Amino acid sequence: MPEPVTPPPPTDAELDTYIRTRYALLGIDISVLPASDPAAVMDQQRLLSNARGILRTEVAIANAEIDSQFHPPALYPSALSAWTRED
Amino acid sequence: MTDTYPVIASEAAPVDEQPQDATISRRQVLNRFAWLSAAATGGVALVGPAVTSAAAAAAPRPPIVDRVRPEALADPTELTIAEAVTLILQGRLRPVALAAAYLDRIEEFDGVYQAYAARPSRADVLAAAAAVRIDSRNLLTGVGLAPKDNYYTKGLLTEAGSLVFEGFVPEYDATAVARMKQQGGVVLGKAQMGNLAGGRATVPGTLIPTTRNAWTPDDVRYSPSGSSSGTATAVAARLATSGIGTQTGGSITGPGQAQGLTALKPTFGRVSLHGVVPLTFVRDHPGPLARDAMDAAIMLQALAGPDPNDPRSQGLPEPPDYIRAATPQGSKRPRMRFASRIGVWPGYLTSGAADVRARRGAMARVLEDVGGRMVGELALPDDWSVLSGVLNGSTGDPTAPFVEHLRRDVRLFADRLPRFLNGMLQSADSYLKVQQGRLLLLQRFLDQVFDKCDLVLGAPSDAFDGTGMPLLTFPIGLVTETTTGLQVPTGGILGARPYGEERLLSAVSAYQAVTGFHLQRPPDPRTGVARVARAAVGPRAVTTIAPVGLEAIAQQ
Repeated sequence: MPEPVTPPPPTDAELDTYIRTRYALLGIDISVLPASDPAAVMDQQRLLSNARGILRTEVAIANAEIDSQFHPPALYPSALSAWTRED
Repeated sequence: MTDTYPVIASEAAPVDEQPQDATISRRQVLNRFAWLSAAATGGVALVGPAVTSAAAAAAPRPPIVDRVRPEALADPTELTIAEAVTLILQGRLRPVALAAAYLDRIEEFDGVYQAYAARPSRADVLAAAAAVRIDSRNLLTGVGLAPKDNYYTKGLLTEAGSLVFEGFVPEYDATAVARMKQQGGVVLGKAQMGNLAGGRATVPGTLIPTTRNAWTPDDVRYSPSGSSSGTATAVAARLATSGIGTQTGGSITGPGQAQGLTALKPTFGRVSLHGVVPLTFVRDHPGPLARDAMDAAIMLQALAGPDPNDPRSQGLPEPPDYIRAATPQGSKRPRMRFASRIGVWPGYLTSGAADVRARRGAMARVLEDVGGRMVGELALPDDWSVLSGVLNGSTGDPTAPFVEHLRRDVRLFADRLPRFLNGMLQSADSYLKVQQGRLLLLQRFLDQVFDKCDLVLGAPSDAFDGTGMPLLTFPIGLVTETTTGLQVPTGGILGARPYGEERLLSAVSAYQAVTGFHLQRPPDPRTGVARVARAAVGPRAVTTIAPVGLEAIAQQ
């Protein structure tokens, strides 16, 4: 059994390509924003930087562990069992 | 003790009287919250499991105040809701006169405050006030109100502080607005807000600030806080008696604390979201910004209850008598109606600037004096860092309702574009884990925090927003603001279990019965006073005055 190999983390450029492709797939055009203009209310550079942060937060969420058996305490009887008169 | 709170005729609470949060099963709360998460992930609109409690109150009536303060008799814009309704029901004040007093003040000062984004004409407001039916069953008879601009208002511009909704005039009222009108309320205008419910109010499509903090009207640098900026300023600056905001991440409690108000974020679902521009399906909370706890109670009483148009508001326990909860026991030595254990959130009394710490410490001692039992500093729930951090986000929520607007032109979203676009980057597995995390966080609060206390002093807003639990802020004194050197209010914050609004109102009304911070009002503006046209005013029309310190903001 080979040892698992962790792929190298994506670069900013690779993430930017992914982000632009995702938006384009949904018909959203971010090219109408200035490429980089700190004086503008929003530009592509800031948007992409923020989006990369969101994607990297996805890793933190994936790393967070919640017990797979976790569920809220059930109601007795459940609404369904009350309706069907089943236990 | 100071005799500063309007004394309201009441009888002592029966010994066996319990607030609603003490009558509801933990399992029911958790199950309902799990349903909400399922509804968010599945997009279903079914009514969730019902939460049952003790018998609901008979329809509460507005409180009759024994003594209206002289300063309020001299200037009707100073009246609280309780005082105004008392005078109107007693035939000592006409709704038209109250509305005219507000209109005069708005026309004199709102050119500086910029609390309103849009207003009906003066004639329309006066006609609405003249049409108010004087009825002792109504809670808001003749009261002037400032709903945030994300509440639909029939025939009145509703732009949510954004170019996305530029020119939008709804054909119906949001349920919350409709209920205020049914109770005799008069809408004075739509209050400015942060772009699509984020940040302080700005000129739509720009970063240029509009609304001033009512306590620093001559200096734009000190923020009114957001996103319910205009509602907070309108109430604090006496341009409205009360108002309603929305909170997804601190947007009621933040402006409330920044402007010396008593501001209530109720339990999720307690007030209908029908007709409110959405930000999320599971974290948006409508609620009042008011002058004191009694006014917050009256507003919540008018707003709360199931709405056929919002399944999230259905299946909750019937609203109890919030007005009674906000009526302290005893007039000579006021006490909380519901004696409660108060736990202190870690670091709340020991961190921050010295004057803020001093105010908080003094506030805690007063809460103890009026019947709170302090149980000391609480421990953080297990896994607090991750549960309140990455697993308490709402990245995936705002995108879905706005896809067509995003396709139309992303520039419409201005500085808020990432917030609305980034939901497309959250994967289903992450979104599901976030929903599980929020449910787990709620369970931890119920099992590991609210097993030791009934109220949390210094409750963390983000966690309470994410889990739908109620919060109440209230003024506790003035402190020195570091940027401007001006004296500004600071506020305390209490959190409670789901449906714990009665406890919150009980505690803060008792605090306000023996303190006078809620009666402090900011000075009027000194400079830049401009008349605003009496005809309907658009959002850009009220941003024409060069605000003091704007250059400094632009340079930051």
